[in-house]
Amino acid sequence: MRRTRIGAVLAASMLVVSGCGVFRGEEDSGAPGVTKDPCPNAVNKDNGCIYLGIISDLTVGPFKTLAVPITESQKAFWKRVNQQGGIGGYDIDVTKYVRDNKYNPETHNQVYQEIKGKVLALAQTLGSPTTAAIIKDLKASKIVAAPASWTSAWNFEDVILESGANYCVETLNAVDYAADTFKPKKVMAVHYAGDYGADAAAGAKAGAAARKLTFSAVETPQGQDNQGRAVDAIVKEKPDLVIITTGPTDAATVIGQAAARGFKGKYIGTGPTWNKGLLKSPAAPAIKAQYLQSGPWAPFQTNSPGHQAMRQAVGQVDPNDGYTSGWVWSYPLKAALQKAAANKEMTRDGVLKAAKQLTQVDYEGMLPAGAGNYSGNAPTDVVRTTLISQPDDASPTGVKVIKEAFTGPTAQAYTLDAPCYGKL
Amino acid sequence: MTEFWQSVARGLGNGSIYALLALGFVIIYKSTRVISFAQPAFMLSGAVLVTYLAGEVNFFLALALSAVAVALLALSVERVAVRPMVGKPVFVVAIITLGLDIVIRVIVNGFIGLDVRQVGDPWGLRTVDLLGVPVQQRYLAMLATTAIMVAALFAFFRYTRFGLAMRAAAFDQETSLAQGVPVGAVFATSWAMAGGLAAIAGVLVGSGASVDQNLWIIALKALPAIILGGLDSLGGAVLGGLSVGLVESLVGTYQADIAPWLGQNFAVVSPYVLMLLVLLIRPYGLFGTPEVERV
Amino acid sequence: MNTLLERRGTRRPRGRPLLYTSYKQDMALLDTPAKRRWLIALLVVALLAPFMLTDDILQLLAVGLVASIGAIGLNIVTGYAGQISLGHAFFLAIGAYTAAAISGDPDGKVIGFGVTSILVWLPAAGLAAALAGVIVAPLATRLRGLYLAVVTLGLVFLGEHIFKEWDSLTGGPGVGRPSATVELFGVRLDEAGAYSKEQKLYLLMLVLLVLFAVLARNLTRSRVGRAFAAVRDRDIAAAIIGVDLRRTKLLAFAISSFYAGIAGALLYTVTGFFDPGSFNLLLSIQFIAMILIGGVATVSGAIMGAMFITLLPRITRELPGVLPFISSESKDTPNVFQVETVLYGLLIIAFLILEPRGLFGVWTRIRNYWKAWPFSY
Repeated sequence: MRRTRIGAVLAASMLVVSGCGVFRGEEDSGAPGVTKDPCPNAVNKDNGCIYLGIISDLTVGPFKTLAVPITESQKAFWKRVNQQGGIGGYDIDVTKYVRDNKYNPETHNQVYQEIKGKVLALAQTLGSPTTAAIIKDLKASKIVAAPASWTSAWNFEDVILESGANYCVETLNAVDYAADTFKPKKVMAVHYAGDYGADAAAGAKAGAAARKLTFSAVETPQGQDNQGRAVDAIVKEKPDLVIITTGPTDAATVIGQAAARGFKGKYIGTGPTWNKGLLKSPAAPAIKAQYLQSGPWAPFQTNSPGHQAMRQAVGQVDPNDGYTSGWVWSYPLKAALQKAAANKEMTRDGVLKAAKQLTQVDYEGMLPAGAGNYSGNAPTDVVRTTLISQPDDASPTGVKVIKEAFTGPTAQAYTLDAPCYGKL
Repeated sequence: MTEFWQSVARGLGNGSIYALLALGFVIIYKSTRVISFAQPAFMLSGAVLVTYLAGEVNFFLALALSAVAVALLALSVERVAVRPMVGKPVFVVAIITLGLDIVIRVIVNGFIGLDVRQVGDPWGLRTVDLLGVPVQQRYLAMLATTAIMVAALFAFFRYTRFGLAMRAAAFDQETSLAQGVPVGAVFATSWAMAGGLAAIAGVLVGSGASVDQNLWIIALKALPAIILGGLDSLGGAVLGGLSVGLVESLVGTYQADIAPWLGQNFAVVSPYVLMLLVLLIRPYGLFGTPEVERV
Repeated sequence: MNTLLERRGTRRPRGRPLLYTSYKQDMALLDTPAKRRWLIALLVVALLAPFMLTDDILQLLAVGLVASIGAIGLNIVTGYAGQISLGHAFFLAIGAYTAAAISGDPDGKVIGFGVTSILVWLPAAGLAAALAGVIVAPLATRLRGLYLAVVTLGLVFLGEHIFKEWDSLTGGPGVGRPSATVELFGVRLDEAGAYSKEQKLYLLMLVLLVLFAVLARNLTRSRVGRAFAAVRDRDIAAAIIGVDLRRTKLLAFAISSFYAGIAGALLYTVTGFFDPGSFNLLLSIQFIAMILIGGVATVSGAIMGAMFITLLPRITRELPGVLPFISSESKDTPNVFQVETVLYGLLIIAFLILEPRGLFGVWTRIRNYWKAWPFSY
C-alpha cells in the first residue's frame, strides 16, 4: 500500500516537474518567444504573441521603489502597443515572464536562464552589475535588452538599447549648467562606488577639468549612519557645487546635516538620488534651497505626447518618475520590433539586426528628435541632452523643470571612448 | 577643534543607537544563548510603524506605541518559531531567526510604498550650542533616549521580581526552573524587550533623516559592539555600542587625512578592526564572562 | 580509495550486511551493500542528467554541485571540528579572485595572467584560500563559539572592504570582473561546442564534487578526523589525551578554506561574472544554512543542504503559479514576488523546526522506517 502511495507521489511530482519544462527537448525552431497562439488575456485575439522578459528588483533589493513603477509602466506601455494593433501581426506580452532579481547578479543570471528560452527579448534588465552577469549570454544568444540603468557602459553594447544621456554625460551637463549659472570655483563629487556613482563622478571630474574648476571626489558608502565622512568633507572643503549621486535617504542625510553645520553651497543630483518623499523630510528646507536635479528626460507631469500617453496608460497612480523612465526605455525596443516586423524577420537574429538599423527612435517628444541611433559607434551616437529641475512642492513628482533639454559645451565636446567609471 | 567635538557628538549619537540594538542582542543571548538575526527586521518594523502614526499622534506617543507593538510582534514570533527550538543547537535557531528576518522584512517593505517616509520627530536637524560647539539635537535626543532606556533596564533587572527571575534564568536555566522561575515567560519577555529596543533604535535612525527599506542594514553594526563589550554583559553592550559609534565617526573624519592608504570609507569596517584588537587582549570582550572550563 | 574494493578480500556472510568481520570492513567508505547500490544508482542518474535536463536546470545544478564543495569545506571546520565560522564568504572570495586573476585576460581591464588551464588555477585558488585560513586559524585557538563566529564575520566585512577598494583586481563594486576561464587540455569548458556550456560545466563540477567528497569522507575517518571530533566535543579533554589543539584547529581551517577556495573559483564560472559585493554576510550565512539544513558533520548532508538551498529559490518561484489568486502585479501587496521571498524564509524556518537534524535526519528516519518495514520499529 505504502509503496503505491509513494509511487503515486513520485509520479505526480514527475508530472509537475516535467510541466515546468526541465527536460531537454528538441530545440525551439528559430524564434523562441514568438508564437502563433494569442497571448494570455490578449487584446487582439487574432494576433500571435511575442513574449518579452522583465527582470527587475521587486522585493528586498535597494532599488525596489524605482523598479516597481518602472515595471508597471512598461506593462502599460506594451498594453498600449497592443491596443494600437500590436506589431506585425503579434501582440506583445510582458506579464508572463517577470522575475525578481533581488539586485543580486547570481539571482539575476538564474532567473534569466529560466526565462531565456521563452522570450524573444528583454523589456527590462535592471541594474548594471546584474546586467553585466548576463551580458555575455545576451550577446551569444543575440537577445536584445532594454536596460534600467544609465551607466555609460551600455553605450558600448550592441544588444543593450539604452535611452537618454548616461550618468557621465548628465553630470558633464550639470557642471556646465552650474558653471554658467552660479560660477562655482570648487566642485566636489559625493558618490557611491561603481557603475552609478563613479560614472557620474567621472563626468563631474571631466566637466570640472574642462571648465577649469578645482575638483575633489568623496566616495561614500550606503547607509544613513555612514554619511558622516561625506558631511565632514563638505563642511571642511566648502565646495561651491556638490554633484551628489547616492540614494534618496543618504542624499537627504548629507544635504541636511551639512546644512545644519552651515554649508550653503549648491547640489546637483541625478535621477536615482531623488524621491519626492524627501520634500517632507527634516532636510526639506535645505533641499529646497540648495538642491537641483539633473535628468535625462522631463518629469511625470510634462506635456509631451509621450508623457500624456504614459499618464493615460498607467491610470490613477501615485506619480513617480519610475513610470516615466520605464516608459521611455521601452521605445527603442518597440522600434526594433517594428523594424524586424517590416524586415519580416521576427527572430532574435532579426531583432538584433533591426536594432542595428535604427538611426532614430520616435520617443513621442520625450527625448529630442534624433535620439536613439543604434547604428553606429558609441562616441557619436550618445544622446547628450539633460534637463535641470528644482524641488517643488506643487509638482506631482516633487520637481519642476527650470532648464529645458540642453547640451552643454563640455558634454558636446566630450569623447566617450570607454565607460566613464574607469576614468575616475 | 569644533570638528573633533562634532565628530564625537555624532559618534556618541549613532553609538547610542548601536547600543540600543546591542542591548537587544545581549538580552536575547543571555536568556536563550542565541544570536537573533531578526533584530534588523524589528528595527525596520518599528520605524515604519511610526511613519504611519506620525501626524496622527504625538511623536513620543507614537514611539511608545510602536515599541509596544513591535515588542508584541517579537513576542509572538518567539512563541511560534523559536520556542519549539528550546534545547536545539543554537546555530539552528540563529538560522531560523534569519528566515524570520527575511519574512518580516518583505512584509514590512510592502508597507513602505514608493516614497521615503518620515517619522515626524520634533527635533529635525536643529542644533544647539554646547560649550561653543554646535551639536545637533538629534544626537542629544539619541543619547538621552538610550540613557533613559538603560536606566529603566537597570532598574528592571535590579529591583523587580521578574528582573531577578530573568537574571536567575540567565545564570542557570535548569536550577531557576526548579526554583519556580517561569523560564518560558523569561524567553518571551527577553524577545519582547529586544523587539521594543530595536523599534526605538529604528525610529531614532529615522529621526532627522528618512526611512526607506535599506534601514535594516544598520542593525548589523551592533554585532561588533556586542562582541566588543562581551556577549553576556548589558553594560558591555552599551559601552560597545558607544565605542563603535565613536571610533567609526572619528575614523571617518580623520582617516582620509592621516592614513589614506587604508582606502576610501575605511570607517565602515573600523568597528571590526577595533573588535579584533580588543579580542586579542580579552578573548571574552571587555566585560564578558570567561567560560568556566571543565573537562 | 582501495577500501572501496575491500570486500573482495574479506568475505562477509551472505544476508548479513551489517555484520563486520574485520576492522577494515567497519571502516570502509561504503560499509553496507545498500550504500554501494544507492551510490551507484545516484551517480548513474547524475551522469545521465546533463543529457536529459534543460540548460537552465543544469546550470542551477552545477551551482549546487559547487556549493556542495564549499559546504563540505565549511562542514569540516564547523561540523567536524566544531569551530563556527561565518567567514566562509571571505575564503570563497580569495579563491574566486585568485582563479580569476590567474586565468584572466592579460590585456583586460583587470589583473589577469592568462594561464587558463584549470589544472593551474584551481589548485592555486585552493592553496591561496588555505593560506588565508592558516593566517586566521590562530584566532580560533583563542576564541570560542559565537565570539569566533562574529570575529570570522569581521573577516567578511574587512574582505569586502578590501575587494571593493582593490579596483584593479576586482573591477570595483557594481562593475565586477569576468570569472575564471575554464580550460582543460585545450578545451574550453565555459563555451558552447558539441555540448552546451552548461552540460560541460555540470560534468566538471560533478567530477570535482565526487573527488572532494571522497577526500573529505576519507579525512574524517582518519586520525585527523578523529582529532577534529575530539576537539569539537570537548577541546580540553582532547588536549589532555594528546591532541595538539593549535595544530588541529589550524588544519581544520586550512582544509576548510582550501575547499572554500576551490568552490569560490568554480562558483562564478557558471555565471561568467562576479562583483565584489557578492561576498557578504548573506553568502556566509547561506553556507551555514546549507550544512544545518543538510545535517551537521556529514558529507552527504552538506551536499543535500547545498542542493536544497540552491534549488529552493527556483522551487519557490514555481509555487506561486500553483496559487493563481495571488496578484502578479508588483505594485499590489501581496504579490507573487513577495510570496516567493516569504516562502523562502518560511520553508527554512519550517524545515529546521520540524527536523533540526536537517535533511540527513529526514533521510535517517526514512531509512530506519524501511529497514524495519513492515514493522514500525
